[in-house]
Amino acid sequence: MSIFAYIGRRLLLILPQIVGIVLVSFMLVKTIPGDPAVLMLGPTANPESLAALRKEMGLNESIPMQFWIYLKNLSKGDLGTSWQTTRPVLEDLLTRFPATLELVSFGLLTAILIGLPLGLVSAFRPRSWLARVADFYSLATGSLPDFWLALVLIYVFYTLLGVAPAPLGRLDMAILPPTQITGFYTLDSLFAGDWEAFKASVSHLVLPVLALGLINAGPIFKMTQSTVERMLQSDFSRYEMLCGMPHGLVLRHALRNSLPSILTIISVLYGFLIGGAVLIEIVFSWGGAGQYAVQGVLNSDLYPVLGFVLFSAIFSLFVYLIVDLIYFAIDPRLSH
Amino acid sequence: MNAIVSSEMLVPAQSVAPALSVRDLRVEFPTAMGAPTVAIKNLSFDIEPGTILGLVGESGAGKTTLARSILNLPPMPGRITNGEVWFEGTDLRRLPEEEQRERRGRDLSIVVPNPRGELNPLITVGDQIATRAQVHLRIDKKAAQARALEMLQKVQIPDPKRRMNAYAHELSGGMAQRVVIAMSLVCSPRFVISDDATSGLDVTVQAQILKLMRDLAFEQQSAMLFITRDVGITAHFCDRVAVMYSGEIMEIASREDLFLDPQHPYTVMLMAAFSHNAKLRSQWRAPDESRENATPSVGCSYASRCPKAQSICHVEHPELLERRPGHVVRCHFPVERT
Amino acid sequence: MTALLEVTNLRKRFPIAGSRNVVQAINGVTFSIAPGETLGLVGESGSGKTTVGRCILGLIEPSDGSIRFQGKQLGDQKATRALRGKIQLVFQEPGESLDPRYRIGLSIEEPLIAQRVEAAERRNRMLEVARLVGLSREMLELYPAEMSAGQQQRVGIARAMITRPELVVLDEPTSALDPTARADIIELLMKIQGDLGTSYLFISHDLSTVRFISHRVAIMYLGMVVEQGDAAGVFAHPRHPYSMGLLSAVLLPHPHFKLDASVSLAGEIPSPINLPKGCFLATRCPFAIDRCRTEMPPPTDLGGGHIVHCFRNQDVAHLDRASDTFAEFQLETERILSASAPAPAPELV
Repeated sequence: MSIFAYIGRRLLLILPQIVGIVLVSFMLVKTIPGDPAVLMLGPTANPESLAALRKEMGLNESIPMQFWIYLKNLSKGDLGTSWQTTRPVLEDLLTRFPATLELVSFGLLTAILIGLPLGLVSAFRPRSWLARVADFYSLATGSLPDFWLALVLIYVFYTLLGVAPAPLGRLDMAILPPTQITGFYTLDSLFAGDWEAFKASVSHLVLPVLALGLINAGPIFKMTQSTVERMLQSDFSRYEMLCGMPHGLVLRHALRNSLPSILTIISVLYGFLIGGAVLIEIVFSWGGAGQYAVQGVLNSDLYPVLGFVLFSAIFSLFVYLIVDLIYFAIDPRLSH
Repeated sequence: MNAIVSSEMLVPAQSVAPALSVRDLRVEFPTAMGAPTVAIKNLSFDIEPGTILGLVGESGAGKTTLARSILNLPPMPGRITNGEVWFEGTDLRRLPEEEQRERRGRDLSIVVPNPRGELNPLITVGDQIATRAQVHLRIDKKAAQARALEMLQKVQIPDPKRRMNAYAHELSGGMAQRVVIAMSLVCSPRFVISDDATSGLDVTVQAQILKLMRDLAFEQQSAMLFITRDVGITAHFCDRVAVMYSGEIMEIASREDLFLDPQHPYTVMLMAAFSHNAKLRSQWRAPDESRENATPSVGCSYASRCPKAQSICHVEHPELLERRPGHVVRCHFPVERT
Repeated sequence: MTALLEVTNLRKRFPIAGSRNVVQAINGVTFSIAPGETLGLVGESGSGKTTVGRCILGLIEPSDGSIRFQGKQLGDQKATRALRGKIQLVFQEPGESLDPRYRIGLSIEEPLIAQRVEAAERRNRMLEVARLVGLSREMLELYPAEMSAGQQQRVGIARAMITRPELVVLDEPTSALDPTARADIIELLMKIQGDLGTSYLFISHDLSTVRFISHRVAIMYLGMVVEQGDAAGVFAHPRHPYSMGLLSAVLLPHPHFKLDASVSLAGEIPSPINLPKGCFLATRCPFAIDRCRTEMPPPTDLGGGHIVHCFRNQDVAHLDRASDTFAEFQLETERILSASAPAPAPELV
């Protein structure tokens, strides 16, 4: 099967998956106790607007009718309005989601850069001192919360040493954000040639990315180490050693064969961190999507939560699609 | 159908230095508690260049352990605790790790069974053969690819050009085994070990593969160690045959001598297994079947199963002695034929 | 004497998922087994011999043809259930067919539990059959992992024999065993046949063993029986090119005895999908003529139950030099084995 046929098939499958997600999020709304109109307009709304909203949402109609109204709104890009920010949720998310994405992407990259090599070395030389240190490290990251590490980092590098900027968002107070193309301040400032903004965004990213990266390197390390170790004991790896292949080559081949498992955990982490980085976002006042969603939950602001669910679910879907494509490209057994 | 005297293997007697010499090899496997299990005990044998030594034994005799130990990579968690492996005048075990690795695959090569499990599933077979050539012969990629194609033609794979881009799972068992043979011979090694390489193949395919290996070895004048459970293979494809039991060599002789005049009771028992005469077979079996699994620590390791064992056999360990020219046996009471 | 098992024109096709092609596993197989007789079913991979065994056991439904056991047609549920226990199976890998958590005594009893036999009767029969295969009482308490492969196979045979079958299908029962264990199992099977008159369908690719245990033999290639007849006769005087090719690949453990290598089959076994129109061997056969490629050879009866499917079987006969290598090998082996008593104290050279 060619790669285009495969992509086509997978894209077709995404449609029913998205319908499923929308259905589930709609059902979530229905299961929340209390009056939905009050939930949506907030406790300060007056009875007339409540009644108007009820009519508009068709709360007096049948469930399928309500779902239909919900779908209609979605297709117009109307994800509702947050009564806290008083702005449409779609607008809010379009500014906040990239913030989270930037943080999480760099964080995950750091985690891979730490965890993968560590895992490789541990698998290849299981009794070396490096392997023992790595084992201890993974144990530590498994038991330490990321926000605690963030606070420690802030204390050391900001409070004590003064080398890091204040943990108050993505940029210094005085600097304006660059024109939004991707939403990533680092990239956008480069595109705009804004050197000041670039320096600021990078320096503000250092500590949170470090916190995320150091902690999430643990699971990546563990997965790499166990899979590669198992690969090195497989028949064909031993055979390559029996044939006198250089260590580098044996390791490279073992890594290549281990990629599916490692990629899987990276993709799962990616999807998880979109929401899972919320504590770091709060510590650093990042203004990200996770923070936004949590605020919605805490204050019973329904639409932001729903919007966030939709965004992150679709994001995960695409991450998995890309991972599947990579599998398809590496493993010839799948294309038959 | 007539019996035909097999005349393909007449090798002229030559007093050349052996290509491979194993001396006093000892391999141990640690156990959870107590003394380690000795898988190979003081094993010694020689193989002359251009000849094939067959090593036959039942499962558990230590054949695969031996094969890997010759390359100094005993199966985990085994360790070689004693012995020397002399290859063309150098003791392989004393060489630095890097040099050993270079020799493996280039000068000494191994062919293993279950080829589809041994080949990397994600890389084309052509690339795997070429990489082997590239690494060991230090030639560039293009030359390596050409050589790989040449080898595929030599092992008579149908449609070799197309097969260069095939993956392991697309090949049948017989074809995969040919690929493995191509891979092991691409660097023209001077010593080849075949570790039960034809088990699992169809009979007709096995016949083709055996003939192929023998012809290629002869063409490159390599020495070959043919390890197998199948006694029949050694009778037709090897110049000399060694019989292995419980980590030791019990008898070595030329093919003719071993099969026409087997001296060790274990060798005779192996051959008796093919006889339809039940009475004769039972004469060469242990009197009590339940003792078959016992391995004593002193005396002859075969004593508990041997129908001809006497009291000295349980006490004194027999040495490998030359009974006739070129025929050595490890037994206090080897079989005499009138 | 009426045959115990009669297979007539058996066919089996397996559809391949996602394609219109079919795997033609069995293509018109006819043979019979008499009571107390062993039929050796010989073939390489793709020959369909295992599939034939499964059809007889009722594990697979044939696409065409008939199987009659004791005169009754096999195939529908009622018939199969009534015959339960009369046809049994012994597997290739003894270790894998035994539940590792059960002591072997329990494994042997299992078929009777399925037949709802009471505990006391079960125990008696289990002890009886254990004695039959040579397993001591102590061994019945062991787990499979504590036994050698040969002993495990004895357990497999005991488990098959406990329902007192009239026909046992053995699918490569000795292929995973060392030569000595192999000889023991074959001896045991022959003893059981002598005592109880059980028939065997012995499926194997190991020609020496088949020659030993079988009265008659059927050689299969790509789902067809190309030659069948009396075992000694077929192996000594094969009349089909495939039989000759197969026999020439047999390696007897004696350097002087090589079965005639005058027929060698080139290439590999083709795939059982989209088989050609004429004889399946035509692409590899050194005797092939044009007729072979267009017409499927009908059975030629050579007398005495020796049937061959080949247009050129006469020419094959001319190549054959009349002597039985297997028998000669046996005589020579006996000579080597019957050595006199071992010599006294050894002399050091």
